[in-house]
Amino acid sequence: MADKLMSTMHEKDMQKVTAMQKVTKILVQFLLYAFLIVMALIIVFPFYWMIISSLKNTAEYRLPVPTLFPQEIMWGNYLEAFTAANLGKLFMNTVYVGIVSTILSLVVTVLSAFAFARLEFKGKNALFAALLATMMIPGELFTITNYVTVTKFGWLDSYTVLIVPFLVSVFYIYLLRQNFLQIPNELYLAAKVDGTTDLKYLWKVMIPLSLPNLISITILKMMGAWNSYVWPRLVTSTDDYRLITNGLRDAFTDMSGQANIPVQMAAVTVVSIPLFLVFIFLRKYIMKGVSRSGIKG
Amino acid sequence: MKKRIISLLLVLAMLVSAVAMVSCGNTGDSGNEGENGGNGANKVRYDVPAEGYDGSEVTITFYHSMGARLQTVLDTYIPEFNKLYPNITIEHSSQGDYDGVRDQIKTALTAGNQPNIAYCYPDHVALYNVAKAVVPLDNFIESTITVTDANGNTSALGFTAEQIADFIPGYYAEGTAFDAAGTMYTLPMSKSTEALYYNKTFFEQNGLSVPKTWEEMGKLCEQIKAIDPDCVPLGYDSEANWFITMCEQYGSDYTSLDKNGHFKFDNDTNRGFVKMFREWHQNGWVTTEEIYGSYTSGLFTATEGQKCYMVIGSTGGASYQQPPQVDGNALFETDMATIPQVNPDAPKVISQGPSLCIFKDSNPQEVVASWLFVKFLTTNVEFQAAFSMASGYAPVIQSVQSNTVYQQWLDKANGINNLTALSVKLALSQSNAYFVSPAFNGSSAARDEVGKLMQSALVYTGSDVDAKIKELFEAAIYECEYAAH
Amino acid sequence: MKNFLQKIKFDQWKAWIYLLPAVVLLLIFTVWPIFNTLRMAFWNGYGLFKELGGELTFEFGIKNFKWVVGYGGFITCLKNTMLLTVLTVPISTILALVIAVCLNAIKPFQRFLQTIFFLPYVTNSIAIGMVFEAMFNIVGFGTTMPSYGIINNILGVFGMDPVNWINAGSSYWANIAVLTVYIVWNALPFKILILLGGLQSVNKQYYDAAKIDSTPRLRVFTKITVPLLSPMIAYVVITGFIGGFKEYSSIVGIFGDDMQAVGGESLNTMVGYIYKQLGANHEGDASAAALILFAIIFVVTMINMYVSKKKTHY
Repeated sequence: MADKLMSTMHEKDMQKVTAMQKVTKILVQFLLYAFLIVMALIIVFPFYWMIISSLKNTAEYRLPVPTLFPQEIMWGNYLEAFTAANLGKLFMNTVYVGIVSTILSLVVTVLSAFAFARLEFKGKNALFAALLATMMIPGELFTITNYVTVTKFGWLDSYTVLIVPFLVSVFYIYLLRQNFLQIPNELYLAAKVDGTTDLKYLWKVMIPLSLPNLISITILKMMGAWNSYVWPRLVTSTDDYRLITNGLRDAFTDMSGQANIPVQMAAVTVVSIPLFLVFIFLRKYIMKGVSRSGIKG
Repeated sequence: MKKRIISLLLVLAMLVSAVAMVSCGNTGDSGNEGENGGNGANKVRYDVPAEGYDGSEVTITFYHSMGARLQTVLDTYIPEFNKLYPNITIEHSSQGDYDGVRDQIKTALTAGNQPNIAYCYPDHVALYNVAKAVVPLDNFIESTITVTDANGNTSALGFTAEQIADFIPGYYAEGTAFDAAGTMYTLPMSKSTEALYYNKTFFEQNGLSVPKTWEEMGKLCEQIKAIDPDCVPLGYDSEANWFITMCEQYGSDYTSLDKNGHFKFDNDTNRGFVKMFREWHQNGWVTTEEIYGSYTSGLFTATEGQKCYMVIGSTGGASYQQPPQVDGNALFETDMATIPQVNPDAPKVISQGPSLCIFKDSNPQEVVASWLFVKFLTTNVEFQAAFSMASGYAPVIQSVQSNTVYQQWLDKANGINNLTALSVKLALSQSNAYFVSPAFNGSSAARDEVGKLMQSALVYTGSDVDAKIKELFEAAIYECEYAAH
Repeated sequence: MKNFLQKIKFDQWKAWIYLLPAVVLLLIFTVWPIFNTLRMAFWNGYGLFKELGGELTFEFGIKNFKWVVGYGGFITCLKNTMLLTVLTVPISTILALVIAVCLNAIKPFQRFLQTIFFLPYVTNSIAIGMVFEAMFNIVGFGTTMPSYGIINNILGVFGMDPVNWINAGSSYWANIAVLTVYIVWNALPFKILILLGGLQSVNKQYYDAAKIDSTPRLRVFTKITVPLLSPMIAYVVITGFIGGFKEYSSIVGIFGDDMQAVGGESLNTMVGYIYKQLGANHEGDASAAALILFAIIFVVTMINMYVSKKKTHY
């Protein structure tokens, strides 16, 4: 199916289409959209659930048969969400940690991926295999040791402790290395002949060509800040440095540990909006791709 | 292949050097405990500094799981405490829920970063005690050292006899559940229990009476099922509480502090009541939140479709059992009673909710200051009253009930729109019925396993019930023993 | 020292400079904890609190490993881990590939649909767990008035009987089916993102060339799209396997801490076991289990790398 879709991108080239081909094309388009819409509905359902839950009252939320649309719309949940938690400060912390750690992480990742993809040095493959191996140990076991380490560094209650331990992700280095390897080696060799420095080549050629993947890493990294809960709670003791999920989870629980989920969802929805806008903005860059960068393979 | 071997060697080489480094690192903080050994009949003691609180400036950290509303109450009373002890700064923070507090402290202890005071359940304290991190309180309680507050008033560091007598005995006794000697490790902060919520309107309309025993409960379920065949008469929130409470009511074994055999719940009495309740479930008389697949409170307050007319759940969740309203009129009235008993003359109900424990610290003044704050929180009538009203949990001292504001609040209790006060009233009225299970390293496993056992037994539909129950009990014991190895 | 440096080619130490920040951070925050894990794994009966309490003297041995392997549910944990990985990785990868290619191919509503596929990133994880439970749930199963979740209602539209997916007495395979759907759902957005990014990095010239040759479309997909995307596909498969072997939170998300349907078979996994041991203060056993898991993942990843090296086109 998908192969036919690829060709639809360049309809202009397809001047001579028979009636039969036209019918097939329409049918394919129809199936294509049907498939994407069904998948989209499945993907979007939890998001919808989040919104409707944020507008229910507690009693309706706890009904045995969940309603698909709130019987009575409780805008008051949003008011309560704003007043109950210190969301403003937590949100700014998250944005700060998200941006700083994304930028630093991109630098570290690009440099490492470049070394692994383009430079020749002894023990390269062995080192890369060892790096991959570190991904295979469940991270929960790291937490206690890392906690002791950052305590000894005196990093508790700081932005540093939220940013530095997670700057290197083998996942991202691996991802970018895969991307860099795709860029023809001839380009690099040609650049070397021209006397271009590695850094300049990296900046002028490799980064533009891998922009979609760099944006992907940016999104994933931002999401890391957005969803991190255990570590910030562990290493910070006040709202001065805690992140948004800490506030979202902790502020709305009653004594018996039960969360007031509608209000919690209202808070989640509110803080999702700016994030969502950023993603729409970044999406443009992913989809722009490298087709216009003028580099020929 | 060769490179892979190199990478393995690389890892191994780093390994060896690391093991060497670890073995000479990591020293915990040294407390100043004077312990006479934990086992045997001797209580574990902590050496209270002879000068008591010397007025030095200390900062006390307090980990809890309070939501925003309760933190407001706490923040109102910290200045009251500081009027007495201006040099003690209190910093408190929420760690999510009770498990969050435990996990946080578990990690913090490894680096000596534990808070001074924390919300705790007995199981948690048993865990911290493996690291000998919790301050035994007996020497504080008994201390006659004089402390002078900022107003120039003097008082004993410890409790007076009246103060001890003021605690609700069942709550106070929870602090001694840790060893045979009865060392006191915790003080109660705020408590809840289980209660029977029932649809008073429905009961009155059908001439039903509130069951006092399980026998009566069985008959009542049958009656209700005849009136409304589609209903599930009774919902029980927590299978684990159910099992543990039944053990206590029957006087049968559950767990013990005996190190040679902690887990004693596999016995005929316990198999018997599990079998009985399985039949109840098969008859459609009872369900639980897990089995039903939704909140039992939702079933209790349902306006249409399937309903239940009784729920046994936490008094802390009373607001969820409030009857639904249409145009400002409640559709029925809820009332509350003590849960059914095996022997109504000697009732037993479980005690839940947070206690407070104090952690050892290299600075003894921090420990003393922590004690002063814990003492303030647990014995200050106004604070206990305000906290109870905001949380729906019962205060832990009896004198709160003579507080005028609190009395007025209790007087407003009703089964239509103020179930919270009603639940606290009930919790206070059964203060002689609380029991505590032994707490030891591994006791939380027993709780998890009996809950799972109860669930699995109730939903078993096969023919060989006895064999299945036997199998479930044996599996639960195996898991417990494995968890405590 | 100078001689030594001179001997090494310029390229050599330049590479290490590029790698320096990553290597230093990894040594502190990843390699060091791994060593600590090893220390705990080979210390008989190790418990962190026991050590803090001063009751423990070092005793080297493999007793912890014996405890792990001797656990009655060990085989079950292993089986569940393997099964979920083998089911979810191929399904999610193929689905993500098809969606990414489709998204890249359409014109009208392209932006809108792409935006939709980004929504999971801003949906908080608390909401996701709740919705999956509600979708498959049967409230009041076994009573006279059960009410069915969305999935069973959809089955009803097609004239099928409701299936007991996750409630009391549900079958093992029904549980696994739900987990598969949930895990695939969770994995999709990430994979779509990576593959879409990969597609955009693919040079359009290859397609133009194919068009001039009027290559059949299926051939374009199998001979151009897949090979050009192969580094990214290899990436999502390998990382998918690594993630799959660490499956845990999705099971707790739907079935709770017991990791089984009420009265059902255990759905515990290796990481589930590790968590439970950490909770029970058995850091030694947890570390030993982590090393066993590591060994398994290592072997599988090596096989994966071997296969992908043969099939990947750079």
